[in-house]
Amino acid sequence: MNNKRWKFFPILVISIPLLLLIGFIVYPVVYVILRGLLLELDTNPFEVLTSVLTYRAFTFNIVETLLSVGLTVLLGLPGAFLFSKIKFRGKGIVQALLIVPFILPPIVVVVGFIRVFGSNGWLDSIAMQMLGSSTSIIDLSSGLVGIVLAHAFYNIPLVILMVSASLNQLDSELEESAEILGATTFQKYRRIILPHILPSLLVASLLTALFCFVSFPIVLTLGESRYKTLEIMIYDSFLAVDYGRASAIAMVQIIITLMIAYSYFRISKKVTQEGSSSPFSKKVSLGELTLKTKAVLLFYFSILIVLVAGPIIAIIQAAFYNPYSHEYTLSGIENVFSSGTMGGLTPLINSIVYASLATILAVLLAIPLAYSRRYRFSWIPEVSTMLVLLPLGISSITLAYGLMIAIAVPLEIIWPVIVIAQTLIGLPFCAKSIESSVMKMDEALLEQADILGASRMQRLLYVELPLLTPGIVVGAVFAFAMAIGEMSATLFIAHPQNYTLAVVIYTYLSARRFVDAGAAALILVIACVLSFIIIDRLSESSFGEVI
Amino acid sequence: MAKYPRRRNPRMIISIVVITITILVASVSIMNFYQSEPLTLKIYTYDSFLIWGPDPEGIDEIVFGPFERRYNVNVSIERLQTDATGIITRLAAESSNPVADVVIGIDNILILKEITKSVLEPYISLNLNQINSTLVDYLDPEHYVTPIDFGLVTLIHSLSSINSTSNPDIQNMTLDTLAEYADALVTENPHLSSPGLAFLLSEIAISEKLLHQDWEDWWVTVNADISVPPGWTEAWSVWYESPSRLFLNSYGTDPAYSAYFYGAPPDTAALPLHHNGTDYAWMQVEGIGLVKNSPNPDIARLFIDYCLSEEVQQYIGVNQWMLPANPSVNLDPVFEFALHPEEVTILNSLLPQTEIAANLDLWLDQWDLIRTG
Repeated sequence: MNNKRWKFFPILVISIPLLLLIGFIVYPVVYVILRGLLLELDTNPFEVLTSVLTYRAFTFNIVETLLSVGLTVLLGLPGAFLFSKIKFRGKGIVQALLIVPFILPPIVVVVGFIRVFGSNGWLDSIAMQMLGSSTSIIDLSSGLVGIVLAHAFYNIPLVILMVSASLNQLDSELEESAEILGATTFQKYRRIILPHILPSLLVASLLTALFCFVSFPIVLTLGESRYKTLEIMIYDSFLAVDYGRASAIAMVQIIITLMIAYSYFRISKKVTQEGSSSPFSKKVSLGELTLKTKAVLLFYFSILIVLVAGPIIAIIQAAFYNPYSHEYTLSGIENVFSSGTMGGLTPLINSIVYASLATILAVLLAIPLAYSRRYRFSWIPEVSTMLVLLPLGISSITLAYGLMIAIAVPLEIIWPVIVIAQTLIGLPFCAKSIESSVMKMDEALLEQADILGASRMQRLLYVELPLLTPGIVVGAVFAFAMAIGEMSATLFIAHPQNYTLAVVIYTYLSARRFVDAGAAALILVIACVLSFIIIDRLSESSFGEVI
Repeated sequence: MAKYPRRRNPRMIISIVVITITILVASVSIMNFYQSEPLTLKIYTYDSFLIWGPDPEGIDEIVFGPFERRYNVNVSIERLQTDATGIITRLAAESSNPVADVVIGIDNILILKEITKSVLEPYISLNLNQINSTLVDYLDPEHYVTPIDFGLVTLIHSLSSINSTSNPDIQNMTLDTLAEYADALVTENPHLSSPGLAFLLSEIAISEKLLHQDWEDWWVTVNADISVPPGWTEAWSVWYESPSRLFLNSYGTDPAYSAYFYGAPPDTAALPLHHNGTDYAWMQVEGIGLVKNSPNPDIARLFIDYCLSEEVQQYIGVNQWMLPANPSVNLDPVFEFALHPEEVTILNSLLPQTEIAANLDLWLDQWDLIRTG
């Protein structure tokens, strides 16, 4: 074997995804920030950063993030134990439904959320009837409370799925030994279970923190301009054509998000390497539980259903219910498949075509990235890790604006940029999924292939790829779901013939066509639930391990 | 390993993937190629342009079809998913390589920004004499944009929820009275919504010029209770769905809209701000302009002329729910329910454009500080 060639081959393969990431993330963002800082000489970045407004946005951003993470963990942790310890029918479907909030366009979530938790929403109406009051009693959809609850809605599924995946890996023999040795329940949790799930809990919390820190539509709508995050200040600055201010704030934001994203990847690497789900993890069926436990479970489930399922049910209802005529209708669904000026057919086709292309591209890019982690003692894994996490850590508004002015406009290309933007958003998850398959691959099998005289190509096609298939399928579905729900970049770059469903939902809402908006959202929900049911059927790994 | 996966020929899978990609890419490219044939006039406008009438699906063909046939050109109305400010951001981003020919919807505040004029080219339309000249003065005497429609921004309320019989104090809605109703008021975020900005400017004009007070005091008083959703649609939803939110900052034509679609005298009424025996309202004038370095400037100029003529102006009323800039157009009878410019004093004259241009960013920053305080 020619050793020299082998040394450069991985660098060559890995350089393709890395160049794309540099070209479509690093370059546009750096371009926008530098242009803002260098060309707008009348804005003093130091003044921007020390202004009262920035200080308030920054503090609120931190407070809101910490509270959201706290509530998410508090409500998600019991769910994680439930999912890993109790057997019940339809678990796969519940899991698939749990991930729905994660991929919904945020504006849809906001609308559903207000309908359930807002004043005169579902909860409020029930409370008003019970207390016989004619005025609104509960409004959980505004201010800090609303923002934190909405963030919890978005992220509770992350905690449940990731921590339950980790609990599944816990060998029940360990627990039993502890019991035999006379450990109390508390000691068992303190000494065995907590240390075991801690890394995955940290990873889930960091990811939640990341999403809450760059949260935009939720704070924009529910915050009613009384609360601003850095992301909102960036958006306001772009609208006010104050590029200097936008750049200064974007820099601060990126430093913080990259720190969170980096810790996330550091710790999640540990979680991935720990191996797959243990066949010996302890499970009980519903029948074996005591009445008291069942009552507690019921209470917990009702909170979870109101918080997580409520807004989703509201979205489904919105697809069929016309709030003006107070009638149920199928016109929204019809509209999704109609080809008129405002019809949903072109956006539907665009959504599917772009997301499919993005999925294929994501998989092709993710495979070399996943392999790069195998090259230890080299700078390659470090660099690729850093680059892959960029899409997670960069504000979608800065990136979308950068893609528009640095790439889409000068090169006069629209839809390929949309596809690439959608690809990059799903890439971190896709790469992680494939990476975990790569890590689990049995080296001995590959050596056997070599010994039996397989060529490099044969080994790749007949041994490695089939072994990677489960990881690739999960990664692909994830990439698809993220791509089809992507909104910011498409919103900025697209011309109307390029609009996707996630984007036309905005058009419908601004035209007060609530039924059409609801129907478009419903189609997105269905597409994603189907994808996740496919994951569940086709692969042995669970979502929790992927995220 | 529990079991080995069944051995398939991966070459087949790879060729299927390659073929799928080729077909997808080819079809998307072809689709996009045909949709951008050279003689297409691209019009950028905001998301809700002309869609409020009885036939939003067919409105572009009705209004612009005759122009397409007359000049054998394709008119593509691109309703961008943003408000007018976002369109300027987009035009600025595209300025090195413009795509759009004409932009519709730039109003008398947006035109004050330097960047707006930098992406437009002045054009004195051949049909300028058909347009109400007062509007031209309010919008842009330099003709970067020409008025296409206008409307009065004012409070509205539902007569069945609150009226001057049940609450006599609202008959003369002064800023002081309005402050007492802060927990019943909905307006829009002035950063993101032009009626929201109009409301802020109305409040500034009345406070500073009529009451001679600091405009910030009023906002400090109402800050905890007022509802400020991001845009007009969200604000409208809050007002429509919450019985406790009685007043919405909206347009003076809303009662006419309500009468048109319910076929009865409207339940919605306009409620202009009041001071010392006079009613006041802010006038928003929306303009149409030629994009600088547009790909098809000649036909774009013809298009601007066409939009100012009665052929287009006759559709403004019941499709846009603004008033046409061309005064010779006959309006639908429901417009008798609308608030008319003659019934109020226009606040714009209290706040000269130069003053707004000089202070707008500062005002918005101060407003942010009050809101987040």
